[in-house]
Amino acid sequence: MNKYIMVIDDSPTIRISVEFALKDLGYKIQHAENGMDALEKVKALVNRKEDIALCICDINMPEMDGIDFIKKFREIDRFTPVIVLTTESDDERILEGKEAGASGWIIKPFQPADLIKVVKRFLR
Amino acid sequence: MIKSETSKFGKPLYILYPGDYFATDGDCILGTITGSCLVICFYEFRKKIGGMGHFIVPGAIGTGGIVNDDIAGSGIASIEHLIGELVKLGGDRRFLRVKVFGAGYNSGNDSNMTIAHSNIRFIHEYFAIEKIRIDRSDLGGDFRRRIYFSLKDNTVYRQVLKNNEENSEFIRLEQEYIDIQFRNKRKTGRIILFE
Repeated sequence: MNKYIMVIDDSPTIRISVEFALKDLGYKIQHAENGMDALEKVKALVNRKEDIALCICDINMPEMDGIDFIKKFREIDRFTPVIVLTTESDDERILEGKEAGASGWIIKPFQPADLIKVVKRFLR
Repeated sequence: MIKSETSKFGKPLYILYPGDYFATDGDCILGTITGSCLVICFYEFRKKIGGMGHFIVPGAIGTGGIVNDDIAGSGIASIEHLIGELVKLGGDRRFLRVKVFGAGYNSGNDSNMTIAHSNIRFIHEYFAIEKIRIDRSDLGGDFRRRIYFSLKDNTVYRQVLKNNEENSEFIRLEQEYIDIQFRNKRKTGRIILFE
């Protein structure tokens, strides 16, 4: 069984940057370009009995934003950590994210070493 | 950023200062002046909304490409902030077009030219990865530019400023912004853990 980290962001540059930063952790990376796309990919992984170890999720995305994704994801999976990685710094949105079930919130830009530190903390 | 309700254009004018970004669905003009910085003008053609950003990539990016470069990360975040605001207005990056200006340099200063060329490379690499079409690119050169972006018709008016004294206050502010960016070139935003 493979262990996956989902990287959900409408920016291909960010998805590739995050994948590059996490390349040595030994996880497979599943990209998704918005919340809707991510939910479909989560369901496909669950159906194949694959293990999702962690999600890294943007907030402001078309079709389905990060807050709605987290709410829907929590209906499927209550425990897998979801780290928000976003430019969104509004305190109300951060609180919404926490209430939806996010595990952490990182405001871009990010240094790879800082991201790895947070990811490792949640992968323990 | 300052807003003027009345302007010579007959519609509201927003003047962006160095480091500012702004997205809107209103019928207005966005303006700025740049020397070394990049100015990007986005137009989302499906929603007919747009925005402008004024920023710099604070240093020379490495040969490995922008996705593997912590200095480029700062530039990526600057653009992401602006796109994030466009998405909040209902925009979608798949329907974005962009016009890019700036990265002027002092041809007598090698370091200044290196940074300008690195910024130009960054812009082209970033938009290639994002698959966002660059409709107009006016980058480099030993001069400053005044930019006005009319959102209603997605038109940019660019004026070359060859007189270094012209708008020197604006350029002083740009230099202050650049100095701050270079001092904080490798940074991560706030990290909050919900535990």
